[in-house]
Amino acid sequence: MSASGIRVALGLPAAGLALAALAVAGLPAFYESFLYLIFSWVALATSWSFLSGYAGYFSFGHGAFFGAGMYTTAALTTMFELPFLATLPLAGALAAALAAGIGAVVFRVRRLRGELFGLLTLAVGFVLATIVLNTPIDGGPGVYLSGVPLPRLLASPTGTLYLLGLGLAVATVGTAYAISHSRLGLGLYAIHDDEDVAELKGVPTLAYKLMAFALSAGIAGVAGGIHAMYVSYVTVGETFSITVPLYVVLMSVLGGARHWLGPAVGATLIASSLYVFTGGQQAVLGRALVALVLILVILLLPEGIVPAALARWRRWRPRPVEVLAPPAVAPAAVAPAGALGCHDVWRAFGGIQALRGVSLSVEPGEILGLVGPNGSGKTTLINVISGYYPADRGRVTLGAETLTARPAHEIARLGVGRTHQIPRPFAHFTALDNVALAATFGPGRVSPRQARAEAREWLAFTGLGRRAAARPDELNLHERKFLELARALAGRPRVILLDEVLSGLNPAEVASAIRLIQQIRERGVAILFVEHLMRAVLELSDRVVVLNEGEVIAAGAPREAMRAPRVVEVYLGKAHVA
Amino acid sequence: MLTLWRLGSRGALAWLLLAAFTATAVAAPAGPPVRIGSTLALTGPLAPTALLHKIAGEIYVEELNKANGLLGRPVQWVLLDDQSKPDVARSLYEKLITVDKVDLLMGPYATSGILAAMGVAQRYQKVLPHHSFGMPHLAKYEGHFPTAPFGPQPNVTVPTTVFDALAATANPPKSVAIVTSKFPSAQFLSAGARDVAAKRGLNVALYLEYEFGTRDWGALAARVKDAQADFLWIGSLGLDSNQLLEAMKKLDYTPPRHFHLFPAPGPLALAPDGKLALATTVFEEHPPFTKNPGAARLVPLFRERATRANVPYPYVDTQAGGSFAAWQILEAAVTATKSLDDKVLGQWLRQNRVPTIIGTLRFDGPNNYGDDLFKVKQVHDGKWVVVWPREFAAPGARLLPP
Amino acid sequence: MPSLTLLGQAVVSGLLAGGIYALLALGLSLSWGLLRLVNLAHFALALLGAYLTYQLGTALHVPPWAAALAIVPAFFLLGLAFHAVFAYFRVSEFGSLLVTFGVAVILESLIQWFWTADYRRYETAYATASARVGPLYVPTLELLACLTAAGLALATWAWLRFTYVGKALRASAEDPVIAAAFGVNHRRQAFLLSGVSAAYAGIAGAFIALISTLAPSQIWAWVGVVFAVVIIGGLANPIGALLAGLLVGVSESVTMAVVAPAWAPLVSFSLLILILILRPGRV
Repeated sequence: MSASGIRVALGLPAAGLALAALAVAGLPAFYESFLYLIFSWVALATSWSFLSGYAGYFSFGHGAFFGAGMYTTAALTTMFELPFLATLPLAGALAAALAAGIGAVVFRVRRLRGELFGLLTLAVGFVLATIVLNTPIDGGPGVYLSGVPLPRLLASPTGTLYLLGLGLAVATVGTAYAISHSRLGLGLYAIHDDEDVAELKGVPTLAYKLMAFALSAGIAGVAGGIHAMYVSYVTVGETFSITVPLYVVLMSVLGGARHWLGPAVGATLIASSLYVFTGGQQAVLGRALVALVLILVILLLPEGIVPAALARWRRWRPRPVEVLAPPAVAPAAVAPAGALGCHDVWRAFGGIQALRGVSLSVEPGEILGLVGPNGSGKTTLINVISGYYPADRGRVTLGAETLTARPAHEIARLGVGRTHQIPRPFAHFTALDNVALAATFGPGRVSPRQARAEAREWLAFTGLGRRAAARPDELNLHERKFLELARALAGRPRVILLDEVLSGLNPAEVASAIRLIQQIRERGVAILFVEHLMRAVLELSDRVVVLNEGEVIAAGAPREAMRAPRVVEVYLGKAHVA
Repeated sequence: MLTLWRLGSRGALAWLLLAAFTATAVAAPAGPPVRIGSTLALTGPLAPTALLHKIAGEIYVEELNKANGLLGRPVQWVLLDDQSKPDVARSLYEKLITVDKVDLLMGPYATSGILAAMGVAQRYQKVLPHHSFGMPHLAKYEGHFPTAPFGPQPNVTVPTTVFDALAATANPPKSVAIVTSKFPSAQFLSAGARDVAAKRGLNVALYLEYEFGTRDWGALAARVKDAQADFLWIGSLGLDSNQLLEAMKKLDYTPPRHFHLFPAPGPLALAPDGKLALATTVFEEHPPFTKNPGAARLVPLFRERATRANVPYPYVDTQAGGSFAAWQILEAAVTATKSLDDKVLGQWLRQNRVPTIIGTLRFDGPNNYGDDLFKVKQVHDGKWVVVWPREFAAPGARLLPP
Repeated sequence: MPSLTLLGQAVVSGLLAGGIYALLALGLSLSWGLLRLVNLAHFALALLGAYLTYQLGTALHVPPWAAALAIVPAFFLLGLAFHAVFAYFRVSEFGSLLVTFGVAVILESLIQWFWTADYRRYETAYATASARVGPLYVPTLELLACLTAAGLALATWAWLRFTYVGKALRASAEDPVIAAAFGVNHRRQAFLLSGVSAAYAGIAGAFIALISTLAPSQIWAWVGVVFAVVIIGGLANPIGALLAGLLVGVSESVTMAVVAPAWAPLVSFSLLILILILRPGRV
C-alpha cells in the first residue's frame, strides 16, 4: 500500500475511535446529537459523490434513497416489529436495489447524461414520495417510532445514535478513499471526463456506474434508517423535502466533489453553520450570511475547498518532475497476433446508409490504408469495429473471436485499440495517467504500479517522456496526437485503428510519426490506417482499400488501387479518368 | 417629617409596615434568573404561525418581569430557531437542557417539533408545556401538558361540536363534502369528521385528500361543485382555504356552508369569499373570553406588538391564546408549588385545574388531555365571532344562515 | 366516473395552471440552454417580483400592470448585474447551481426580513372573475397568465429564430469558439439574455402575486415542477417550454379530477421519466 494509503488506513479508524471514546466518556447530549447530524450529512454527501462527483452523473435523487431507507426502517419496526438494527441493512439493500433498477434502465440510454440524469433522479424522488404518501406505508398521518426499542450501545439513546452515525460516516469516508484509489475509482474518473473514450479503452462503464450508484444509494438508505429513529416521527413532507437532495450537492461541491475527503469537509462546514445562527434575533440574517459565504467560496474556489487547499500545499512543496529518457529498445512485444476481418458490414443512421456491405481484412504485421473522400464512411467503420456503434448487419472478427454485438469495453480488452481524429484525452488526468488507464484496463490484469511503468515506457516510445506530468490542456496538438497514440498502444492491442493521426502535423512531425508506425508494425500489430495524406498512405501501406459512400470501390497494392479509374473519378471527377 | 414624629410609635410602625409591604409587592424580581428554554420555527415554512407564538411569549415574559417574576426571580426566555425542522428541534432541546442548562422548558411550534422535543423532555424527565399539538394519541409522555385543548379524541369531539352547531340551525345539512390536506393532524380530524357525519346519518357526498402544497385548485373546486353538498368541510392549513374558495368562485360556486380546520384566520376573515366561513377557536377578542385571566393585558399588547412586527392580522386567537395559556400553566404550577422541580410541577398539574385565558384546563384524562374546549366561530363582516356553544357566543351573534 | 363537465373543467383549469409553469420555465430554459447556467435564483426573483407587485398594489394602490411596467425593467438590470458576476468569475455550470442557490437563500431572507414569514394574499376585485364558455368556466386572471405565457413564448421563439441576436445566442451555445470566430460577441449577447430571463421572472412574479399565496418558503414549492417542465420542453426551446407547461398542468389537473388528488405528482413526474427515456433524439 502507498504511504498515503497507510496514513489513511491508520488515521481514519483512529479518528473514529477517538470520537467514539468521547461519547463513552460522557459528552453532553447536545454535542452528541449535533455531531450525529454532522456524521449523517458526511455519510450522505460522501456517498453522493461516488457516482455524481467521481463519474460526473449529477444525481438529484439522493433524497429518494434516504427517504426509502427511512420508511423501510419505519415500516419494518412498526408494522412487522423487526428489531431496529436488523432493519438497517435491509434499508440499505432496498435503496441499493432501487438505484440498480433505475440505473439498469437509464444508464443504457446514451442521451441521459448530465442535467437530464439529474432531472430524472429528482423526478424519482417525487414519484417515491407520492407513492409513500398514498399507500399504507404512510398514507398521510406519518409513522410514529417512539415505541420502538433502541439497542443500548451506550447509556443514552442519543449516544447510541451518535455511535451508529459515527460508524456509518467512518465507513463511508473509508469507502470513498478505497474507491478513489481503486480500478473502480479510476474508471469512474475516466467516465467523468469522457465516457465514450473510457468505454473504448476497456472501462466497463455500465457495470461501474451501476456499482457506484447502488453503493451510494445503499449508504443513503442506511443513513435514512438511522435517522428514522432519530426523529422518531416520520412524515412524507419532512422526509422527501428538497433539503437532502439539494444540500448534498452543495456540501460536496463546496468541499470538492472529486476528492474522497471533499464532501466530508463540505458537510461539516455547512451542517455546523446551520447551528451558528439559531439564536432568536439573528436567525433570518444568519441564513443570508451563510449563503453569502457559500457564494464567495464557490466563486473563488471553483474546484472545492479540499482540492484548492491541496493545490496550495503542493505549490509550497513541489514534487520533482519525472523526466523519462527514450528506451534503448522498444518495449516488449504485445499479445499474440490475430487477423482483423470485416465481413459484409452494414450500418445506417436514420435515412443515411453509411456502410454498405464493407468487407476487408488486416493481417498481423500489416498496414492497411483506408482512404476515400470525406463522408465515405471511414470513421463510421472504425466506430463499428471498435464497438462504439453496433453493426446493422454483418460480422467483425478478430482471429477466432467475433466482435460484433459485444460491448465496446470487451472489444477493447480483446485487443482492439483506436485513436480519435480529434484527440480526446481525459482532461483531468496527466499524460501519464491517461496512458496508465489504458494499460490498467487492457487485456490481462496488471497492478497499478505495473500499469504506470508501462505507461512511462509508451510515453517515452512516442517521445513524450518529458511531458508525463503535464495536463492535456498544456500540450500542443502534436503532443496530444502522440498521447492518443501512446494511450492506444498501452492497451496492448492486437489491432490498432488510426484515425487521421497525421492531420495537422508539420512535415518533420509527420516523418517521426511514420517512423513510429513502422516500429509498431514490426512488433506484429495489425494496423488499419485512415489517412488523407497520400504521401504517407503510399509510403506506409502494404495494401489499400478505397471507400466511397460506404462501399469498397477498390482494394489492392497502393499505387494500383489509387490509379483505378473508379477511384480517380471519385476523387477528381469523370473528366480526369484517362 | 414632623407629622410622622407626631404619630408616635404606633403610627411609625404602621408606616414601616406599609413601606415594607409596598416594597415586597412592587419590588422588581431579583436574584439569578429563572431560565426557560424553547425553540420556535423562526425561519422556514412554519415561520408564519410561529411568529405569533414568539410575540405572545415575549409579552408574557415581560409582564412577568414587570410584576414579581417567578418566585421573585426574573425570567429569561432562551429562544432558539429550529428552522421548522424536527431534527434540529430535537438537538436544540438537548442543547437547552445539557449545555445551556435551563431550569424549565416550553414547547416548540407544531406537532412534529413537539414530538421531537417531547422525546428529549422524556429522557430528562422535564415538564413540557406546549400549545400546538394536533394528535393526542401520539403524546405518550406523562410530563407533557397541552394547551391546545383538543381533548383525548379530537377526531370525534371536534367534528361533533361542529355538527352540533349546524344541527341547531333551522336547516341542518343533509349531505357533506369533505376535502382535506394530507397534513397529518388535518387528515386525522377530517377522517374523523367523515365517520361522525356518517354516524349522524349525513350523506358523505365526497371525500378527498389533497397533497400538502397543492398549487392548482381548479380540479378540486370542480369536484366540490360537482358534489353539490349542503355543507363543505375543508381540512385546510394556512391559505388553502382562501385558494379553494377562490377557485370555486371562479366556477361561480359558493358552498352553502363551509368549515375550515386550520386556516390562517386573518386572510380568511378579510377575503371577499370568506363571508360566513366557519372555524374552531378557543379564544376571540370579545366577551366572555375577554374576561378570562390575562386577556385584558394580552389583547392590547398583542395588537401593538403584532402591528409593529408587520403581522397582517394582529388579533389574539387560538394560536396566541394557546401560547399564552401554556405560559400561564407553567407559572401557576411554579407559584403554587414554589418549586422549579419538574417532578413536583408535573404532579401538581396533573392534580389541579388551572384557569387560563382560554378557559379552565385540566390534565387528568388519557395522555394528559382533559376537556375539548373548542368552540365554533364564524366570519361576520370581516371579523371572527364565536357562534357556538350559545353561552360563549359573541353578544347577539348566531350561526348564519340561521 | 366523473362527468364530462368535470373533466372538461379540469382540462381547462390544468391548461391555465400550466400557463404559470410555462411563464416560470421560460426564463429558466433560456438561461440554462443558452448560457449554460442553472439558475435557482430564478424562483427567488419571481417571488420577489410577486412581493413587489403585492406591496405596490396594497400599500400604494398601483394596479398590477403598472407595477409590472416598473418591475420588468428593474429586473432586467438585476439580470445584467447577476451576469456581470458570473462572467467575471467564469462560473461553471455546476458552480452556477451553488451560487444561484446562495442568491436564492439571500433573497428569501431579504423577503422574510421585510415582509415577515406570514402568509400574504393580494386580494383584488377581479380575482374570481371568469368567463363562461358553455358549461365551462375560464377564470380570467389565469387565462391572462396563460396568454401572456403563450405570447412571450412565441415572441422569444421568433427572436431566437429570426433576429441576429437570437441566432448569435444559439450559435454561441452550441459552439462558442467557432461563433466567436464568426464575430459573435458572446459577452454582450449573454448579458442581454440574462436581463431578458430576469425580466421574465418579474412577469411571472406579477401573475403569481395575483393568483397564488405568498410566503418566503414558497420559492422552493415550484422548483421541482418547473425543472420538469424545462426538461420536457427542451432547453432553450420556448415553444417547448410552453407546451410542456400545458402538458404538465393538464396531467396534474386531470389526475386530481379523476382519482385521489394526492396522486397528481406521480402522474406528471412519471410522464417526465417516460418522456426522457423514450423520446428519440437530442434534447
